[in-house]
Amino acid sequence: MKKIILLAVAVLPVTVVSAQQATSAASSSPAPTVSNTTPATAADVEALRQQVTSLIDTVKALQQQVKDQQAALQKANLTGESGLPQNPEPPPIAGAEESPAPRGSAPPQFPTEDTSVVSSTTAPAASSVPGAGANPSPAAGTFPTADTSVVTSTPETISSTGAGASLTQPITIGGGKNYMNISLDGLFALAYSSARDLDHIEVGDHDPQQRGFNARNIELAFDGAVDPYFEGFANIVFKLDNDNQTEVEVEEAFMQTTSLPYNLQLKAGQFFAAFGRLNPTHPHTWDFADTPLVNGLFLGPDGLRGVGAQTSWTLPLPWYSQLIFASQNGRGSTGFSFRNPGDDGMFFDRVTTDREARGLQDFVWIPRFENSFNLSDTQTVLAGVSGAFGSNETGANSRTQIYGADFLYKWKSSHAEGGFPFVKWQTEIMYRRFQAGHGADDSFPVAETFHDWGLYSQVLWGFKKGWVAGIRGDYVDMQDSKFTDDLDRQSRWRLSANLTWYPTEFSKIRLQYNQDFLQENFFLSARQVESVFLQWEFILGAHGAHKF
Amino acid sequence: MKRILLLLTAILACSFSAHAKLNVVATLPDFGSLAREIGGDKINLVVLAKPTEDPHFVDARPSFVVSLRSADVLIDGGAELELGWLPPLLQNARNPKIEIGKPGRVQASQGIHLMNVPANVTRAAGDVHALGNPHFAADPIIAKAIAQHIAQSFSALDPANAAFYEANYKKFEASINAKLQEWGAAMSPFKGQQVVAYHDSWPYFAHRFGVNIDIFLEPKPGIPPSPSHLTEVIAQIKTQKVKAIIVEPFHDRRIAEKVASTTGAKVVEFSQFPGGLPGTDSYVKLIDTLVSRLAAALK
Repeated sequence: MKKIILLAVAVLPVTVVSAQQATSAASSSPAPTVSNTTPATAADVEALRQQVTSLIDTVKALQQQVKDQQAALQKANLTGESGLPQNPEPPPIAGAEESPAPRGSAPPQFPTEDTSVVSSTTAPAASSVPGAGANPSPAAGTFPTADTSVVTSTPETISSTGAGASLTQPITIGGGKNYMNISLDGLFALAYSSARDLDHIEVGDHDPQQRGFNARNIELAFDGAVDPYFEGFANIVFKLDNDNQTEVEVEEAFMQTTSLPYNLQLKAGQFFAAFGRLNPTHPHTWDFADTPLVNGLFLGPDGLRGVGAQTSWTLPLPWYSQLIFASQNGRGSTGFSFRNPGDDGMFFDRVTTDREARGLQDFVWIPRFENSFNLSDTQTVLAGVSGAFGSNETGANSRTQIYGADFLYKWKSSHAEGGFPFVKWQTEIMYRRFQAGHGADDSFPVAETFHDWGLYSQVLWGFKKGWVAGIRGDYVDMQDSKFTDDLDRQSRWRLSANLTWYPTEFSKIRLQYNQDFLQENFFLSARQVESVFLQWEFILGAHGAHKF
Repeated sequence: MKRILLLLTAILACSFSAHAKLNVVATLPDFGSLAREIGGDKINLVVLAKPTEDPHFVDARPSFVVSLRSADVLIDGGAELELGWLPPLLQNARNPKIEIGKPGRVQASQGIHLMNVPANVTRAAGDVHALGNPHFAADPIIAKAIAQHIAQSFSALDPANAAFYEANYKKFEASINAKLQEWGAAMSPFKGQQVVAYHDSWPYFAHRFGVNIDIFLEPKPGIPPSPSHLTEVIAQIKTQKVKAIIVEPFHDRRIAEKVASTTGAKVVEFSQFPGGLPGTDSYVKLIDTLVSRLAAALK
């Protein structure tokens, strides 16, 4: 297009000038004959006439030139695309591919082609990128190569993972274009409990924490391709506390690599530790309305997460086998059993040290090894072992080790509709060795080592499209301290049952019943606590894909 | 330790020798079947979804990651049908060969004009796909285009066998072209007839063979049939004298049976996927079965 304009601009003055010359020449030619002052000779007239005709010829030649150029450009437009002749993509090679097969014979009665559904050429991707050492000439010229003028009318490719998206190509969501997927998830609960202090019964920060209404997990999630090398994720959680004050948590915000060799992946930022099954997941994906006791009491009310980096490697084995290794600061309440200064500077009745990292021993190191097998076409198991090792704040050199093992079994019908029916059994067991030291400045008289363990086991049965029934058992065994009577260190157990209805995958309504058995209650009202939760959830925006 | 090393080397050796054949992964059985037509025995094919299960909700089993990790080619729909389960698999597979834009990624919907693209995307309308109806492979003419796309990809990645893939495509094209005459003839007496389906999976099939499939047992895509909606559907079936109700293997057949028994229509088991019905191990056999079943029901 630009060329045409340039050409037109260049040609116009010439034609105008020559036309003017021609007319002035023509108009001036009769003048001498009229004027008698200098009578023109016949030779003069002839000379002028020749001048005029030569000028007219020049104009004609120029006009022809313009015409030719325009024709050439049009041709280029037809074969190339959008007037960019320097486009690197080769022009489509007219192929025999779309001609009806029985050519030459009588035309088929029933149409075998339909341009209303199939573009005259398909598939630009395969041939436009001559990669992987393949023959760059497009399939020996038999199949047509890209014709983007045709393909643009078809849907853009989808890149939910963002993999392969170019720097300038927005990823596609909901048929539109955007550089990232955005979703908003609201999780609410109406709670009743026979204990007034529900915040001491429920151990998770996003669990119902008071009688009445709770809005403890309103989550904004973003993800998308950063560039051809990284993907970015962020989960920002808004939480209304029991006084309806809004708290904001940067639950996760990290980038990870998309195409490192050798099945490696790096991840860096703020993220959930890959410890067990439940810890790395967000509350809205949980099968129960609250955190299992062992997760809340060992890994922390907000789960084990922090700023750090992680490497994972899927082993080149015929089954799914992955090694994950992460390191995080492990500070604060999201590094609960580690460098956690505790509430009011106390943890397990010790005044905490709250110190800066002295060296690598003060980070939390989190390895995980997981394997998965298919027992049959409809049955899958996934088993993993995890660890978390670091120092804690109850003494100058006190350390914490947590070991975990997890197991998941899932059956899903080979005739599943909407993912139903299914049966899912999930169990996690953890052991914690906690060296409780002398506290800050040796303020606590004795050091001791706690050996705690706990587990939960749950079975979910999706018995009908959209309907899931679940039961769960929880147990935590805390070793008694010989020196203190810390209520946070009591052994306890819990039974839960629930029924969830998912009208679609974007909403759910859940009714859950909990029976807690505590050795002591904070208000000593009862040793058995009954709670009922009605939980509901909505999701707006990007379709949340389901991990296994 | 030695044993483990031996095992590892053995596995590595296997994976290298396996490179002689293209490792092809298809998300859905229809794409898998087309890949088999083109690739023949020159490819190793893994199909993720089962032909009898709902393609919208497939479990992202970890074993799929293993298949995707070593894939040379991934064939997916590209129209959001697998949106609920494919992205996390790809994230975990870390395989640059099957990224979008690479020759190893075939997105079947490319070059296809999708039907029923919603003007406004709202989930109040149920499980509507923003890019259009993704069940496009039920149209044999579209299947040809997908097959061609697959052949292109295979040829680009395995130039030594390009002629083989190309010949297979030609063969497939010819057989579809010939079969279309048969199918068209079988369906022509029923042009314009109304058919009821459980889910809106059949606009492309309907468009091809001239029947109308625009009454559904689901009130909205993905929303289970409600009694009030079924009453409406029953009334429509009676007034329009609908003879056939299409269900797929994963749908609740009892609901369709109930509607059928009160209206006199017949329940016809359909499948989008080769292997979803007995005796349909190839794409052509599947369409054969669909056409003959529907024609029999409409007679």
